[in-house]
Amino acid sequence: MTKLPISKTHQAATQLDIDVSISFQQFDLTIKQAIPLKGITGIFGHSASGKSTLLRAIAGLEKSLAGHIKLGDKYLAHSKENLCLKPEERNVGLVFQNSRLFNHLTVLGNLEYATKRCQNRQLNLNEVIELTELSELLAHQVSELSGGQQQRVALARAILAEPKLLLLDEPLSALDRQSKSALLKMMLNVQQKLKLPMLYVSHSLDELQQVCDNLLVMSKGEVVSFGNIHKVIHKLNSIDDSEIIHQQTSLSLPIKGFNNGHDLTTLSLNAEQDIYLICDQAFQHQTQLRCFILASDISISLTEPSDSSIVNHLLGTIRQMNHQKHNVLLTVNCGSQDFYVTISAFSQKRLSLSPRQQVYLQFKAGAVRTFIH
Amino acid sequence: MINSDLQALITTLQMAGLTTIILLIIGTPLAWYLAKMTSRFKVVIEAIVALPLVLPPTVLGFYLLIAFSPEHLPGQLWQQATGQQLAFSFSAIVIGSVLYSLPFVVQPLQKAFEQLGDSLLEAGALLGAGPIDRFFSIVFPLTKASFITAASLGFAHTVGEFGVILMIGGNIPGETRVLSIALFDHVEAFDYARAHVLSISLLIGSMLLLAAIYWLNLPKRNLKNKVMRKNSMEHHAND
Repeated sequence: MTKLPISKTHQAATQLDIDVSISFQQFDLTIKQAIPLKGITGIFGHSASGKSTLLRAIAGLEKSLAGHIKLGDKYLAHSKENLCLKPEERNVGLVFQNSRLFNHLTVLGNLEYATKRCQNRQLNLNEVIELTELSELLAHQVSELSGGQQQRVALARAILAEPKLLLLDEPLSALDRQSKSALLKMMLNVQQKLKLPMLYVSHSLDELQQVCDNLLVMSKGEVVSFGNIHKVIHKLNSIDDSEIIHQQTSLSLPIKGFNNGHDLTTLSLNAEQDIYLICDQAFQHQTQLRCFILASDISISLTEPSDSSIVNHLLGTIRQMNHQKHNVLLTVNCGSQDFYVTISAFSQKRLSLSPRQQVYLQFKAGAVRTFIH
Repeated sequence: MINSDLQALITTLQMAGLTTIILLIIGTPLAWYLAKMTSRFKVVIEAIVALPLVLPPTVLGFYLLIAFSPEHLPGQLWQQATGQQLAFSFSAIVIGSVLYSLPFVVQPLQKAFEQLGDSLLEAGALLGAGPIDRFFSIVFPLTKASFITAASLGFAHTVGEFGVILMIGGNIPGETRVLSIALFDHVEAFDYARAHVLSISLLIGSMLLLAAIYWLNLPKRNLKNKVMRKNSMEHHAND
């Protein structure tokens, strides 16, 4: 008789292979993409781009698909072999836009619904309750909770089922800005503590920019771009269609110091150059900061501004100039970092800007945006 | 003889109780199937289920009487299987009642299942719950009120049944003689005193049953509303 191992090691899947086509309302959804499961992967697109349908297909809620979906080395669906695992057999979690809590159960009842059905339990219930800050709400009926609290319960419940992959379908869209920021921070914290890979669908690039490592951009049922989030955002800048995103510079920089005397935080751009932004208590626990600067928030000056209230001015070289419908998009290189700046065609002519020219970028501390506070 | 009326009451309760249990067992999956069905044939099945609502009970009873007779296949099969004749038996009136009260059980359940929708079931599936598990852990607790309504309506409607039983059951004491038939007997025999006793008991019994259904369904909802109102007031106070 062979001896059974005492406990199966929980092996996290490292890659999600998607090669599917699904007939969709106005167009067909055709996705062929291997997604490395590291950290949080964002899926961005406008409504009806097919991003929610993609999540539903991965979760097993969308059954009529052709092709295959493979999580790690396990096929979740393979139409040629007539294989389509049921949602309950996939080991994939999903947090919905509307929390979909069970009204007949208390908060604790909802959490226990997941733990009771979880095979090979490894997570500690109390630890997850603490991570999601639910300890004071456990006895409450879910109908008594606010939207943000309900989403926290939904997140905790999904985690407690101990999925190999957690899908998040617009989990913040029904919340106010403050709850959004809090839940986003919580998601990031959960991801880092539990090493649970997540696919996060949103139509808000601001949210995704703050937490995602990789970004998948979808439009009309197809993948437009996939890769490192900053690179993908910068690539989208140059697509002459500002409908997709607000053109911006997306950054992830080390925090150099808190100049608490004048309420500014310093980020280190490179050995010589720093960026200042408005200080926030929450930054003190971080060493790295995600932020973005809208291209329309940066202006160009030919000489170093010395008598301006604007705190950030960086010397850089114009690398590229793209004439767009209403303005000119400049790519300005500072050290190893490209910045994206939109100015009017009028200004471009007046300053007679041209590639390889040295210019000063100017932007206010308040223009350096973060979402998590 | 009050004794025969008591016997009729026992027969009635047995018939209605058994009918209700069978109706819940058959009606629940049927209602579920109808709630989830998208095919064109849905309306056909719905119409068949609803038929006893409009059909005169004697019409249903007449066709059942023919089907249950030893000359026809259902009756023959029954006789081969049990060795007894189906027509004019207790089993016959239970089968008749099941068909006759079917819409009273299926319709409230179907409506409840449709209203519940798929969203919570999807959530349950993604937490690892299989279909049977989902039914008992999500669907049943959330549609309990409709189950109570369905069972009570099925039971009450079966108790009040007359035409179908008269056609297929006859009037055999201890077997098919139920309260409504006993009442008819008393009236035919001009025994108005006993007719009054039976009628008033049926009237009060039905009233009590209906009151119980409303009592079971209503207070919880009120309580919940109160809690929610109290909470929203607290929220406003906090704002």
